[in-house]
Amino acid sequence: MSEMAIEAVGLGRDFGAFRAVTDVSFSVEAGEIFGYLGANGAGKSTTIRMLCGLLLPSRGTARVAGFDVGQKPEAVKAAIGYMSQKFSLYLDLPVRDNLDFFGGAYGISGRALPRRAAEVTELCGLGGLGPRITGTLPAGLRQRLALACAILHRPAVLFLDEPTACVDPQARRLFWRVIRQLAASGTTIFVTTHYLDEAEYCRRIGLMAAGRLIALDTPAALKRAYVPGRVFLVRGENLAATTSAVRAQPGILAFEPFGAGLHLQAEPALWNEASVKLAVERAGGREVVVEAADPSLEDVFLAALGRAEPAA
Amino acid sequence: MIGKERTERAEGTERMQKAGKRGRAWAVALAAVVRKEVRQTLRDRRVMFLLIVAPLLQTVILGYAVDFDFENVPTLVVDLDRTATSRMHARRLLADHTLQRQPGGASVTTATAELRSGKAAAAIVLPPGLERDVLAERPAEVQVLLDGTDPNRAMVVASAAARYFGETAEDLLRERLARAHVPPPPVIRAEPRALYNPGLETAPFMMPGVMTMLLVITTTIVTAMGLSREREMGTLEQVLVTPIPPLVLLLGKMTPPLVIGCFDVFLVLTAGVWLFGVPVSGPPAVLAAGTLLYLVCTLGIGLLISSVSKTQQQSFLAGFLFIMPAILLSGVMTPVQAMPAWLRMVTYVNPVRYFIEVLRGNLLKGAGFADLWWRLGALGMIGVIILFVATMRLRKRMA
Repeated sequence: MSEMAIEAVGLGRDFGAFRAVTDVSFSVEAGEIFGYLGANGAGKSTTIRMLCGLLLPSRGTARVAGFDVGQKPEAVKAAIGYMSQKFSLYLDLPVRDNLDFFGGAYGISGRALPRRAAEVTELCGLGGLGPRITGTLPAGLRQRLALACAILHRPAVLFLDEPTACVDPQARRLFWRVIRQLAASGTTIFVTTHYLDEAEYCRRIGLMAAGRLIALDTPAALKRAYVPGRVFLVRGENLAATTSAVRAQPGILAFEPFGAGLHLQAEPALWNEASVKLAVERAGGREVVVEAADPSLEDVFLAALGRAEPAA
Repeated sequence: MIGKERTERAEGTERMQKAGKRGRAWAVALAAVVRKEVRQTLRDRRVMFLLIVAPLLQTVILGYAVDFDFENVPTLVVDLDRTATSRMHARRLLADHTLQRQPGGASVTTATAELRSGKAAAAIVLPPGLERDVLAERPAEVQVLLDGTDPNRAMVVASAAARYFGETAEDLLRERLARAHVPPPPVIRAEPRALYNPGLETAPFMMPGVMTMLLVITTTIVTAMGLSREREMGTLEQVLVTPIPPLVLLLGKMTPPLVIGCFDVFLVLTAGVWLFGVPVSGPPAVLAAGTLLYLVCTLGIGLLISSVSKTQQQSFLAGFLFIMPAILLSGVMTPVQAMPAWLRMVTYVNPVRYFIEVLRGNLLKGAGFADLWWRLGALGMIGVIILFVATMRLRKRMA
């Protein structure tokens, strides 16, 4: 059956007079990693909560794993896993008791439960931690334990609400390795995040602003659509003083700080590395190094927000 | 026709299998919640203390400290007569140890000062000319000054003094009649004989009260805080995305406090029988039924509190806000009959009131179902209503 893992049609939710989510429609294929991006308060968590059956939609419908979230929230809950940014675990209990509880909560019993617990422990790299009290674990391990608890019942769809908040980069990488393994074995992943580099792991990305879905496509397509032209990474001294002069040149689309340097976006017909270097040096930059760069999702995010705001 | 029947039957079986499957999943989930709750309780030293050590401590402390039998009330004797008669009366009045003579009390002024400072609780003022008046067979007045801040103690002193001087007056009358060769008049005397608690001891009366108070304090507050803690930690939301129905979750959360509550009753009762000679005269089945129904009420109130509070702190405070009036309006401390009518109405919806009546009736008087059925019924009704309202509210908040 070609049914989508997630299918939202005109989804909306109000809190009193406040429209938290307005007319959101999208669908996610089985086994896809789908990223959901947006500023705080853009409506990401509200959307996720509706899709998990925690919150009834005010308007529209959504089907998750084949079940309507408004009509069969219990069936939806049995088919999904959910992990929130708080890594909501019982901190006073050892790791194995958390696994035991959530396994039982999903109806796994008897000998299947310890067997499955051992499997997810292995998958998430938590081997040997069973007797450790959860509250004494570092954030990275706690995050993977929360993930382990959320996938005990082999959910068809896994919702991750800012799963990598407060976790160091190495732990984030380990976490994403597990997520990609899960997706490869057919689990659909729906993830919200603040880290735009993480969004690169997603096959498709939805961008939310002020409760609306303002853009949705693969990272590459989004970059093409929102970041026309070539992108150069410019590094050197005294660059801050040069920005306005460089921006005034014809064919320069954007010149914004990025990481240790600046990202310059330009018409490919008019600019190359050498001419960019010359232009920046003329504007006052010293020891300028220019190299071709890929547009980042940050560029996309800023561009998309810039376009959406005048409309809103 | 047959085919249709067969499909219908198959559908019916399928539906039953589905229901059976769901029931099994719920049983597994319930077992998981109970297991988790037990583990958390066993790991939490504070809760264990609250549930097991505190009841024992309270039983022992309250059992020894709460005693309405007043003895050795510090008393001043202000003897302004200074005669053989006045000294004899002072000595006899103090003879049964209800009152204990304190040094001091040279005059009424110093006696009042000492009452104010708390050195004495009463002063007996034997007036000048007492002996002369008694010998002359004239009426005499002995003044009893009381520290009325503690009305119970004051009443004990007043009645001790009244009893002594009443008997003295009777003796004087007899002597006088004997001298005149008149036979003594018939006297009607009240002969009190206390049933159920012949020694009129405080402990057998108070011990059921201690049990009632302990159960409401521990179970209500532990339940209320348990759910608030899950909300605070975010684990409640995590549990709500699992297929556990809210009712199963609540049922699982109530099980450990229910078991511990029953255990506490057993513990306190054992201590009461052992240390304070509390009788267990009624059928234990009534005691068990009453305890269970009462626990349903107190746990339900705990859930109700957690449905209106956001944090553990709020739950804790709300718990005490409920417990204080519930205990005061129950008859544990003071009789319900002594309350004004409008307050007495409130006690009819107070589960604490019914449980204390069941306990005292059952333990002390040996009352059974025949005497206590309507109180058990009231407990059951209150419990079911509270539990229903609480789960409705929580389900709404969780959904």
